[in-house]
Amino acid sequence: MTMLLELHDVSKQYGNNTIALSDVNFSVREGEFVSVIGPSGAGKSTLLRCINRMIDASNGEIVFDGVNALGLKRKELRNLRTKIGIIFQHYNLVDRLSVIENILHGRLGYKSAITGALGIYSREEKEQALKLLNILGLEDQVYKRSDQLSGGQKQRVGIARALIQNPKMLLCDEPIASLDPNASKVIMDYLKDISKSMGITVLINLHQVDVALKYSDRIIGVSKGSVVYDGSPRHITKEEIHHIYGSEAGDLIMDLGEDTDYAG
Amino acid sequence: MSVENTVTTKTSSELVNRDKPIKVKPLNKVTIVIRLTLLSLVLLSIYGFLTFDYKDVGLIEGIAASIANFRVMFTEAHFSHFNFLEGLHQVFITIGLALLTTLIGAIISLFLGLFAAQNLSTVRVSNMIKSFVAFIRAVPTVLWVLIFAVSAGLGSVAAVIGMTFHSVGYLIKAYSESFEELDEGVIEALRASGANWWQIVWQAVIPSTITYLVSWSFLRFEINFGVAVAMGAAAGAGGIGYDMFMASTFYLDLREVGTITFYILIFAILLEVVAIRIKRHLKTV
Repeated sequence: MTMLLELHDVSKQYGNNTIALSDVNFSVREGEFVSVIGPSGAGKSTLLRCINRMIDASNGEIVFDGVNALGLKRKELRNLRTKIGIIFQHYNLVDRLSVIENILHGRLGYKSAITGALGIYSREEKEQALKLLNILGLEDQVYKRSDQLSGGQKQRVGIARALIQNPKMLLCDEPIASLDPNASKVIMDYLKDISKSMGITVLINLHQVDVALKYSDRIIGVSKGSVVYDGSPRHITKEEIHHIYGSEAGDLIMDLGEDTDYAG
Repeated sequence: MSVENTVTTKTSSELVNRDKPIKVKPLNKVTIVIRLTLLSLVLLSIYGFLTFDYKDVGLIEGIAASIANFRVMFTEAHFSHFNFLEGLHQVFITIGLALLTTLIGAIISLFLGLFAAQNLSTVRVSNMIKSFVAFIRAVPTVLWVLIFAVSAGLGSVAAVIGMTFHSVGYLIKAYSESFEELDEGVIEALRASGANWWQIVWQAVIPSTITYLVSWSFLRFEINFGVAVAMGAAAGAGGIGYDMFMASTFYLDLREVGTITFYILIFAILLEVVAIRIKRHLKTV
C-alpha cells in the first residue's frame, strides 16, 4: 500500500522558546485509521493543523499525496485543503444556517469566489449533500437550523461537511470530547465505517485511550511535542501508556480506561 | 493596600466566629474610591443648588410656570403656519434624511468594518481603520455638519455628508466588534476546507452576525432621526426640525411647537415598534 502522508522531522516553535513539536516523524498508509493520543498540551492539535497548514510548521517536510505541503503557493494550498477534511471538537458550524447549507460549505474550496460567496451550488452537489445526510441518519433535519441540533447531530453534520469535499483524508480534532458516551460511540462507529467503506484515511486526536485502542489500526503517542509511541494498539503495554501520559496520571487512565467510558 | 491584605488573609472560619456582621463585599481601594467620588458629587450638587443665582424667580413659581407652558404646548396644540399634511411631509423629509445617511453609512461601514475586524484582517489595517474611526466619532455629528458646511454651504448637502460621516464612524465600530465576536472555529473550519476570504465573509461571518448588524443599523437610524430633527434647526437642512426652529424662535408659538413635538414623538414610537418587530423576526428565522 502506498503512503498517503509522510512527516519528516517536522518541528513547530512558537516565539523563541516554546516548542510545540520537535522532530516528528511518521507516515500514514492509505485507508489507515490512526489515533493520536497524549496529554493536553502535548501538541496533538498543532500536529493535526500542521498537516493542512492551518498552522505553518517551522521545519521539516510534510508530504501529502506526493506533494510537499510546506512549499505550496496560495492556490495549490487551497487545492490541498479540499483533499483534507477536518472535524472539530466544537463542530464549528454556522449556527444560523440550515443543516444542508452547512454541509454545502464543504464545497466552497472547489468554487469560484463569487459562486461560493453567493452560495450557488450545482444540482450534483446538492444531491451529494442529501445522500450524505441519508448515510449519516440526518434525513429529517435537512432544513433545520444547525443550532437546534443536539451535539451528536451537529458532529454528524460536521462529518458530512468534511465528506462532501471528497477528501482523501479526514483529520479529527477530539471529535467526541464534548459528547456523551452514546453519541461518542455513534460518531466513532460512523468514522470507522467511513474509513472502511470509502477507503478514507483517518487521523484522529483522542483523549479517551480505551476508545483509541478499540477503533484504531495504529496508535501514535505524543508527549511534549515528540512521538514517543508508534505502533499497533494490540501490542501497547501499560508501561508505554504511562510513558505517554507521564507516570503520575498513568494509573488513573488505565483503571478508568478498562471498564468505563469517560469524557474529556 | 493594607486594607486589602488584611481582608484576604482572613480564613472563612475566622469570619464566621466573630460577632460582627459578615461583609459580602470587602472594603478595598476600588470601593473606597467609588464611594468618595459619589460623596463628593452629592456635596457639590448641594453646594450648587444653595449658591445658584436665582434672580427673582422663585423655585415654586418657576416650576408652576413651566408646567403651565407644557400644558399649553400639549393640550392646546394647533396648526397655524402649516396644515396636517404639510407637517407630515416635513416629517418624511426628516425621516428621508435619517434613512439616507444610515443607508450610505451602513454600506460603507459593512466593507470597512470587515477590514477593521481583527479576526478577518491584519492587525495593522485593523488598527489603522479603528484609530481613524475613533477620531471621527470623537467629533460630534453637528460639528461634522458644520465642517462640511464650509465647502457645501449650510443646508441639506452638508447635513447628509456630515451625518453619514459620523454614522460611518459609529457603525464601523459596532460592526467590526460584532464580527470579532464570531467564533474563531467557524472561520477555521471554512478556511480548512479551502474556502477563500470572500466566501468565508458571505457564507459564515455575515449570516452569523446579521441580527447584530440589523439592530446596530436600526439603532443608528433612530439616532440619525433625532440628529436630523436637530440638523433641520441648526444647519437649515429642512424637515420638521426647521419648522420647530421657526415656530419657537420666530413665531414664539408654543402651541405649534407642541404639534411638532407630537409628530416627532409618534414617529419615534413607530420606529421603535418596527425595530422590535424586525429583531423578533430575525431571531426566529
